[in-house]
Amino acid sequence: MNRRRFLDGILGAGFTSTLAAIVYPVWRYLIPPVSGEPATQSVVAARTAEVKANSALLFKFGSKPGLLVRTPEGELQAFSAVCTHLQCTVQYKADTSQIWCACHNGLYDLAGNVVSGPPPRPLERLTVNQRGDDIVVSRT
Amino acid sequence: MTWFRGLACVVFPAVVMLACTGVGTASAQTAQTAANGCVACHASLPDARLSAPPAALQGDVHQTHGFSCVDCHGGDASAAEKPAAHNAAKGYRGKPSGKDVITVCARCHSDAELMHKFAPRQRVDQAAEYATSVHGKRLASGDTQVATCISCHGAHGVRLVNDAKSPAFPTNVAATCGGCHASAEHMKGYTLPDGKPLPTSQLADYQRSVHHAALTKNNDLSAPTCNDCHGNHGAAPPGVSSLTTVCGTCHTVFATKFATSVHAQIFERACIECHSNHAVLQPSDEMLGTSSQTVCASCHSDKDDPGYVASAKMRASIDRFKHGIDSSANLIGRVKNAGMEVGDDELALNEARTRLVLARTEMHAFDPGSLDGVVGEGMKILAGVDQAGNRSLAELAYRRRGLFVSLAAILLLVIALVFKIKGLEAKS
Amino acid sequence: MALTSRIVEWLDERLNLSDVRHFIQEKGVPIHAQKLWYYLGGVTLFLFMVQVASGILLLLYYRPSSAEAYESVQFIVTQVEFGWLIRNIHSWSANLLILAAFAHMFSVFFLKAYRKPRELTWVSGVFLLFLMLGFGFSGYLLPWNELSFFATKVGTSITGAVPVIGPPLVRFLRGGDDVTGATLSRFYALHVAILPATATILLGLHLLFVQRQGMSVPIKTLRALKPGERLKEMPFFPDYILRDVLVWYIAIATLAALAAFYPWELGRKADAFAAVPAGIRPEWYFLAMFHTLKLLPSHIMGLEGEMLGVLAFGLAAAVLVIVPFLDRRASRGEPSPALTVLGVLALIYMIAFTIIGYMAA
Repeated sequence: MNRRRFLDGILGAGFTSTLAAIVYPVWRYLIPPVSGEPATQSVVAARTAEVKANSALLFKFGSKPGLLVRTPEGELQAFSAVCTHLQCTVQYKADTSQIWCACHNGLYDLAGNVVSGPPPRPLERLTVNQRGDDIVVSRT
Repeated sequence: MTWFRGLACVVFPAVVMLACTGVGTASAQTAQTAANGCVACHASLPDARLSAPPAALQGDVHQTHGFSCVDCHGGDASAAEKPAAHNAAKGYRGKPSGKDVITVCARCHSDAELMHKFAPRQRVDQAAEYATSVHGKRLASGDTQVATCISCHGAHGVRLVNDAKSPAFPTNVAATCGGCHASAEHMKGYTLPDGKPLPTSQLADYQRSVHHAALTKNNDLSAPTCNDCHGNHGAAPPGVSSLTTVCGTCHTVFATKFATSVHAQIFERACIECHSNHAVLQPSDEMLGTSSQTVCASCHSDKDDPGYVASAKMRASIDRFKHGIDSSANLIGRVKNAGMEVGDDELALNEARTRLVLARTEMHAFDPGSLDGVVGEGMKILAGVDQAGNRSLAELAYRRRGLFVSLAAILLLVIALVFKIKGLEAKS
Repeated sequence: MALTSRIVEWLDERLNLSDVRHFIQEKGVPIHAQKLWYYLGGVTLFLFMVQVASGILLLLYYRPSSAEAYESVQFIVTQVEFGWLIRNIHSWSANLLILAAFAHMFSVFFLKAYRKPRELTWVSGVFLLFLMLGFGFSGYLLPWNELSFFATKVGTSITGAVPVIGPPLVRFLRGGDDVTGATLSRFYALHVAILPATATILLGLHLLFVQRQGMSVPIKTLRALKPGERLKEMPFFPDYILRDVLVWYIAIATLAALAAFYPWELGRKADAFAAVPAGIRPEWYFLAMFHTLKLLPSHIMGLEGEMLGVLAFGLAAAVLVIVPFLDRRASRGEPSPALTVLGVLALIYMIAFTIIGYMAA
């Protein structure tokens, strides 16, 4: 192989790899990411089967935690899991079916209203919808 | 004749209606004349003490429900002349004072059947409670300077307690109590059980407190004011032994932890030893530790004192944790700004901050071991956050290296192109 | 290669491409001492193409509302695969594009390539430069972070200094009295529709003129030719094209280096009610103007200093557009040192004040 063809070979390989180096990222970019869209207004909290009656799970809503609760009657409720007192993360107590904040014993009922303790305001309520198998939580 | 019947159908009911209204108006007018009798005279009197009450009646809850001057003062409201109006035979008792006030108010307000007609949910034991209070006991022994019903609720222009203009509305209670208790003149002669004069600084102290700020600035009506700790009608200072319970009514977790601690057996005045009773200020980590500004140092100043050692350990623990949270938050902030995904890490940081709040609660057990347990949980969370943050930084460095590699490849290609161009030039 | 020639033949049968093929084969680029400056136009075009491509990609995920703009950019750089790369390229290529456009303009200016018969090429080019600055200004707001919000606030308030039409102009730009989501909508429309459409037309004309008239040769070079001598030319295809591609590769390398060394940050989401951060300033291509306006006294001879400054810049822009018609000597093929000196002074002023503006922060 003479020098000229060697050079042409390198150039050909170079152009092809440049093309590949452009096409590959663009191709991957075009494929929609798993998370769908920015989680400002709505987010897929869980799959329907993951939340059993009288249980709850924490999910990520933007940069704050959210609480998805299935009441003992089977209804789905979602709240911001940020306690209105000192912003600790609340949790679900299955034995009393209430939402509880471990920090200063704040208690909320399943409508998010304050039952006892220091929280000054009810928990922020979020809207729950079903989309196929997904539970979609959004800010109204 | 049909036109006559038609007319009668219209005219007859109209006449009846007018007559009834006339009758109704007549009785209403009688009632109004009745009240107007007192008001009409008193409103025109030159003495402000006598003309003010009728003016204050506007918005008064009793007047709204149809009560009038004679229901408390007795007398004859329909009379136009003073002797006839102020007729003792008609029950006129003048301005009730001292124990008479209680009697007058309790006449209705302790009558369950009567109160049921107007406000079925309202309690009817206020007078009985009052009798147990310091005010009630002193009144019974002849002291007329103490507070009675009208001192806090007013006499004319009484409003419901949940009306923001009522002196008994939560945001107004402190000023109402302070009307007497903050006045050195009024409180002259009263003493504490141990003989010292009764202080008058409570109002000023309370106004500096977080409870007052929560009530007035944050509109948090669950924040305590005088009556929440001292009682309403049965007002009395909480006994020393019950202080933890009183504070613990709201601050349950702290009371529980404190009850397990060594201080619970030592402190006479429980929570108040460190947090004061009226001037409850925003607590901070500065209260804990061994330096001279701390609360601990007021008792534990000796280096060999186990309390000194414990407070030093606990303060160091909390400081270490706070420092860790700050540095992790910084790291995540940098990573976020550089454009990496940090949602999970921010959630974890929230969890860590929750642990900090829990640690400050745990501290009230005054046991460095249990505090370290909570702090340890928090530090583990922070370690995870730091790991994730550093992984993101590593990813950024990886991208940078990747771009360098592509740079090298491009430069090689540029060199090849240069050779090609030179080759073409040589040919032509 | 056999496939391409078959496709070309197929098209030729239907569209008669013989003129085009002849043009491509015969097109040549003069060779002389200043030939390196020829590449700047191509680089500017290349970077503009990069902007269009990366901009279209960003358009797939970007949301132009004040509630979601920042989050959508965050989404692009964190969730979308290679989103960080596309975004970095778009942001850096914008800066390189404006730099290349200015360099192209100055090289054409100093080489007097605007002289007859290329006046229209110059005019369309100057307006393209203004469009690029418009692209830069409108695009800067779109990420909706603190820096871009306040830079836009300061920048749009300066237009208020224009006499008579100033305040209505500010309201028109901002979509209201303040910079709000309405401003974002407007700037978005400008950035992705209005400016691209205008730029396409102007660019098309600009390139058409260049193809029709070929490359201009500096006056000095022409004058140095002996009578009857013709300048040597290199064939456009493949010689010049290869060199053009080389320069484009160097541009790509610069972009990659910038993206690696100085990746673009997200910043904090814009808060309309926050205080203006100290030392706020626009991007470097507006810095000289901005700093000049800052240094002007509040009143000069009874008139508002800022207004005079803005008018002066407007006048300078107008002069720039009509330069070919002012330079009589160049139209006649004679050197025009006066304008050269003016140009050098302008360049020094712009560079100096940009540097001073940076150091003042």
